[in-house]
Amino acid sequence: MKELKINAQEKSPREINRTVKQATKENDRIVIENPNAMHYLLAGLTEPVDVVIDGSAGYFVATMIHGARVHINGNAGWFPADNMTAGEVIIDGSAGDGVGQGIYGGTVVVHKDVGSRTGEIMKNGTIIVGGNSGFMSGLFMMGGRIIVLGDISDDAGESIIRGTIYVGGEIKSLGKNAKIEELEEEETSELKELLENYDFHLEETSYQKFRKIVPRSARPFYGQESEEG
Amino acid sequence: MCGIAGVVFKDKKLHPVGKFMTHMLNALQHRGPDSAGFALYGGLGLGEHEYLLNIEVKEKPGLLEDVKAKVETAFPIESEEIIPSVENYIIYRCKVNLDSFSQLKPLIMDVDEIDDVIVLNGAHSFEMIKDVGLVKDIAARYNTEDKMGTHAIGHTRFSTESIVDRYHAHPFQSYIIPDITVVHNGQITNYWKIRDPLERKGHIFETDNDTECIVHYIADKLAQDYSLEEALEQSVKDMDGPFSYIVGTPNGVGIAKDQLGLRPGVMAENDEVFAVASEEVALREVMDTSDIDQISPGESRAYTI
Repeated sequence: MKELKINAQEKSPREINRTVKQATKENDRIVIENPNAMHYLLAGLTEPVDVVIDGSAGYFVATMIHGARVHINGNAGWFPADNMTAGEVIIDGSAGDGVGQGIYGGTVVVHKDVGSRTGEIMKNGTIIVGGNSGFMSGLFMMGGRIIVLGDISDDAGESIIRGTIYVGGEIKSLGKNAKIEELEEEETSELKELLENYDFHLEETSYQKFRKIVPRSARPFYGQESEEG
Repeated sequence: MCGIAGVVFKDKKLHPVGKFMTHMLNALQHRGPDSAGFALYGGLGLGEHEYLLNIEVKEKPGLLEDVKAKVETAFPIESEEIIPSVENYIIYRCKVNLDSFSQLKPLIMDVDEIDDVIVLNGAHSFEMIKDVGLVKDIAARYNTEDKMGTHAIGHTRFSTESIVDRYHAHPFQSYIIPDITVVHNGQITNYWKIRDPLERKGHIFETDNDTECIVHYIADKLAQDYSLEEALEQSVKDMDGPFSYIVGTPNGVGIAKDQLGLRPGVMAENDEVFAVASEEVALREVMDTSDIDQISPGESRAYTI
């Protein structure tokens, strides 16, 4: 395996991203050192390469990637993996608002807590949160799945159209068009397999606590119930 | 956008807080290039009735003498300093001895009556440094890296609410009670609903800038014996719009975020330091930690020493 190390210190995101794109032709693995929570790292990376960000990333890390496998040893800011179409983004620490915003495919894993609006307008793919997820998680979600091992905050699944939010902890409140259902046995097995694959080793009892948030209707009506024709 | 930051050293001792805040703001420079400012608490060492005035004066023959005469008519000037700025202005900094805090605002309003002169601030327990331009240029002009203190707040501005000048640079200050400052990222959309009752109570607004409204609101609450935490909690219920802001008081720093969480705010803490900012990149300038907390929508945090 051929590996390239890039020292991000004194470099702009544009310089780093250009270097990464060029390096994918001759390297299987790229390590970005000293990222210091820089914004826009790996934006638009479309090669199936392994990238390690050795530290924290800022806003929009791995936005619009297609096929890359990204591992961030630290935290991420707002909108990690925004609009990703394929690939994998693993964040060892915590992340800000809008994790996996608008993704079409691929998997985003955050091991600790995340901010608000996780997976807003996501169309497909998977988001796994090891800790808690904030306000309006799954906002206008149109497909895919969000798995929250901890608690989910107010207005979960606000205006959800399609897709599923699995929650292992408390659900503070539901958003419009969202309802809670119990898991099918098959879904629990699927969760178990997926989570083990990403090094989340839960007790059997923890799996029994999981509930899912799904849409009440595929064509929601947002006025008073009595006004619906 | 705007970048905001705050830091508290928990041991109450003097630290190079100017240097830390300079580095925090420089890390947030991409959030706003228009102006920047600092409120550095605890390092002035002024006597009980001493106050420091920062006065913007246009470079015009005789104008500085007029300012000095106006101040001296009311109170003796104990020491003075001239700091060169940009666009044909200087900052005249002087120390005066007042009988009480209540004389500070009237003195400032008197000096403000002189054309081409505006008092940027008057303070007892903190030093205000704010100017137009980039953080590193302002820091060099005012030697911020040499300033010691116990805690600080700071701002780098992307102007959305009012003109770009020294006065509208943050922090903003209120004279309802001593030494309250605010830095802010966002907008207060129910501005008049907040401002109107404060004005009816006699609080004086100098600008139409929504950040000034926040600082008067918080000062008014503190004057009613709210704790900093209580004042911040109430503010997120009363104020609408996308915002996060940081308050500096003589004893600490607090942050509040709007109920929809539309502006960023992160926090980190260890045994020595409490720090808040718009982004992690600023926190990393004051501590080596991987544990970053997101400030949740409608949440506030504070640390007092």
